Amino acid sequence: MTDNEYLLTDVDMARFLVNGYHVIELDLPAGLNEHIAEQLDGLAANPGDAITESVPELWQVVEHPQVRGALISLLGEDYAVNSHRHWHCKLPGSGDMQWHQDGTNNRNTTIDRLLGLYYPHTITAEMGPTVIVPGTQFRNAPTDRMATYTNIRGQVPLTVPAGSFAITHYDLWHGTASNRSSVKRHMIKFLFNRTSGNSAPSWNHDPEALKRERDWDARDKAQDAVNILSFGNPLGVSQSDHYKERIIRQACWQELLGNQEQQEASRF
Amino acid sequence: MDAQTQPRQRLLYLHARTPSVFSEILGYTLIEPVKGFRVEISGGEFEWPYTTVHDAVVDGWQIVQFPHLQSPFSDTDLDVVGYEFVLQKMEVIP
Repeated sequence: MTDNEYLLTDVDMARFLVNGYHVIELDLPAGLNEHIAEQLDGLAANPGDAITESVPELWQVVEHPQVRGALISLLGEDYAVNSHRHWHCKLPGSGDMQWHQDGTNNRNTTIDRLLGLYYPHTITAEMGPTVIVPGTQFRNAPTDRMATYTNIRGQVPLTVPAGSFAITHYDLWHGTASNRSSVKRHMIKFLFNRTSGNSAPSWNHDPEALKRERDWDARDKAQDAVNILSFGNPLGVSQSDHYKERIIRQACWQELLGNQEQQEASRF
Repeated sequence: MDAQTQPRQRLLYLHARTPSVFSEILGYTLIEPVKGFRVEISGGEFEWPYTTVHDAVVDGWQIVQFPHLQSPFSDTDLDVVGYEFVLQKMEVIP
């Protein structure tokens, strides 16, 4: 059981459904980030899934209460750490990686897989940050069809401090910029799976939060779950797309609340 | 004409919010007709040269492909971001 203080709030959850990511600055033991980065600097080959055997201190990151709290909130108490993980070492001078979604395309409303991206050192714009496109997680877009996109309005480079852990929806569009710096850029990718559906909220849920009325004056400046879910449009997509996004995220929200029947009804 | 004096095709992919040329651009890709040219996702702030497709047309870009609106449409699903316009400028590249 994780201390409730590390669970996400309704607002955090609503923002995740809208944007498809949540970044945590971990309160790790002093020196741990540096120690992990030094070990990664010294690796001669990529051990693939065995990166946690080469650098066992990574478990302190994955099992950190802040990470667990966020993952329980999004995937349920019984989430699983997938056996796949990967060290993404971006060498100085290496080029960018174009937009893609991982896996094949058959998207749905469920949050059943998440990526966890850990950065042991501070990432600058020159180091080839991961770049994500908020709000694209519900798009059924084969990676081939992203080939003519380069810069997208609203894209977010993950230029983050050392010890940051970015949780992204598995289907969020992502890529990387070029590494123009003189240092290796490290990122360890983890994968987490849902193992059962929610029968109740698994985050710090306040039922009163759902009683808010829509505030047409606040819109994209909304600070409460109801209005974030209603008006959030991080890319400024068209009205048609925004309506569809809203329906999909509401269906997902109902599913997370454990309201299976309402979830079915709200999905078109 | 050699390659130095022959006009070459500069390409601009703009992904607009709607099929209207007056709608805001959500995606921008410029391809220069130069050997070895690569596009690149920005790791920092990207400066948008144009706000709308119309801005680019005013700047001399010609639309060579409009969004394909005949493609299958679903009212229950989302696919790519925006509507793709392809534009060109024929210019001598020094």
